[in-house]
Amino acid sequence: MALIETFSNMSFREKSAWGMGLVLTAGALFYFNKVVGLSEALGRTAPPIIGFVIAYVIFIVIASVIVMSVLAGTAGKEADAPADEREKIIADKAGHWSGYVLAIPALGALWHYSVNLDGNMLFHLIFLSLMLSQIAEYAFQIFLFRRGA
Amino acid sequence: MAKSPPITNRIRELREAQGGMSQAALAEAIGVTRQTIIAIELGKYSPSLESAFRISRVFRLGIEDVFGWEVPPAS
Repeated sequence: MALIETFSNMSFREKSAWGMGLVLTAGALFYFNKVVGLSEALGRTAPPIIGFVIAYVIFIVIASVIVMSVLAGTAGKEADAPADEREKIIADKAGHWSGYVLAIPALGALWHYSVNLDGNMLFHLIFLSLMLSQIAEYAFQIFLFRRGA
Repeated sequence: MAKSPPITNRIRELREAQGGMSQAALAEAIGVTRQTIIAIELGKYSPSLESAFRISRVFRLGIEDVFGWEVPPAS
C-alpha cells in the first residue's frame, strides 16, 4: 500500500526512470543469460552473436514503448510538459556520473584484451559497459529524485 | 544524505495563509512539478533565482520575505 502511494506521488520523470531502468535491466539479464549459456556450451567465450544483439534491441524498443505509453497514459498533461529546472539538473548530474560507469569497465575491458587478446570478451565487456552506464544513469536519477536534487 | 543548502523559506506557511493553496497550484503557477515544490519546501532543493522571484510574485511579496539565508553556527 505504502509502495503504491510512493509510486503515485512520484513525478512522471521519476516513474519513467524506474520504468526504463527495469526494462534495461531485464534486457541486460536476457542478453547476458544467452551469452553465458552459449559460452558454457562452447567451453570458451562466445563470439558476438548478431541475433542476440538484434533480439536485445527489439526487446528494449518494444518494452520501452509499452512502459512509456502506460506511464504517459496515467500521467496526463505532465507527460507533455518539458523537464523543469530541478529535473534538468538531475538529468545532467545522472548523465555525468553514468559517464564514469561507462568509462571504468570499458578501460577494464581494454586492459583485459591487452593481457588476454580475447576479442570476444572485449566485445561483451564493452557491450556490458554500455548497458551498465544506461542502467546507472536511471539509477542515479532515481537516487537524486528521492534525495530531493 | 546531501547537506541542505542554508536557504530557508516560508512557502508552506504562505500557502496556508493564502487559504490553503495547494502545492500543485503553486507548481503550476511557476511552471515546475509538484515534487519540485515539495523539495523546495523541505529545503532539499534551492530554486533558481527566476523561480524564487516567481514564487515571491505569487505571494505578492519580496524575495527576502519568502526566502532567507541561515548559516548554522560553527561547531
